[in-house]
Amino acid sequence: MGGYNLDRYQRQISLWGVEGQESLRRARVLVAGVGGLGTIVAAYFAAAGVGFLRLADNDRVEISNLNRQLLFQPDDIGREKAVAATEKLHNLNPEIQIEGINKTIDDETADELIKDVDLIVDALDNFAARFILNKAAFTRRLPLIHGAVRGFFGQATTLIPGKTACLKCIFAQSPPREIFSIFGGTCGVIGAVQATEAVKVLTGRGEPLANRLFFWDGQAGEGTITVTKRNPHCVVCGGD
Amino acid sequence: MKITVRAFADYREFIGKEMELIVPEEKTIGELLAELGDRYPKLRSEMFTPTGELKDFINIFINGRNIAFLKDMATPLTDGDIIALFPPVAGG
Repeated sequence: MGGYNLDRYQRQISLWGVEGQESLRRARVLVAGVGGLGTIVAAYFAAAGVGFLRLADNDRVEISNLNRQLLFQPDDIGREKAVAATEKLHNLNPEIQIEGINKTIDDETADELIKDVDLIVDALDNFAARFILNKAAFTRRLPLIHGAVRGFFGQATTLIPGKTACLKCIFAQSPPREIFSIFGGTCGVIGAVQATEAVKVLTGRGEPLANRLFFWDGQAGEGTITVTKRNPHCVVCGGD
Repeated sequence: MKITVRAFADYREFIGKEMELIVPEEKTIGELLAELGDRYPKLRSEMFTPTGELKDFINIFINGRNIAFLKDMATPLTDGDIIALFPPVAGG
């Protein structure tokens, strides 16, 4: 592992061994969306030594992002999020490769962005793009870690083609796009859950949120699990 | 038959976390939700349009299956069903 200092990862190698860490070093991951969730997930990936990160977002940093998107600072306002986040994460961990791409997920870009990765994190802010990403991920048989937040509420689940429901088995329609209320701590909870799910899938440790929708209610201080099922007539996965 | 209704996020403010209902046989999810709407007008205004249609982005699961992929509001209920009501959570 040239240029990859295992001492840095000592406190987690005791969890999953050198071979688990090697799995992370070799892993190629797309973080789709570099907002409230994406900044948190990507920071944990970088710190944990995930070897290749692709960060995709076509927005620029705005002042109203700073309540939750902890990678960004006032100097970043107006900069492309993908570029600014790449720079910050490179400073956090120069041992890994990070690629920032100033693109959103749509029918044109989705396959290009995922075709050479092992795992995808859905840190998007709308269901229209999520459904495109879900279809692309299913076609490439790639695990997709879903997360979404609003206010004090958030949800996460791990979608594994051939093993679990896909996103379109669980959710039917795109809610109208809105300027949603959000507290940064909610992004912290769900982003951390997504990072944990990804690391479990990549190292083969633990029990992923497969066919289980984790729902966080920060107002009640309660997390719940709802068991989800495949839709045998799903237009995306056909229940596969 | 016994039906459990679990509410999530904002809906908890209207109907509480969970309730068990004893309902007659041959009831659909649509009929049950209409009755809940009568009991809890705030829930009705959150979930339904003024003309009484369920807003299509509300997620209603029966035993983990979204009713949009079952028979929608005509989906029949069976004894022991667990219904989960989720408002949309879509930000990132």
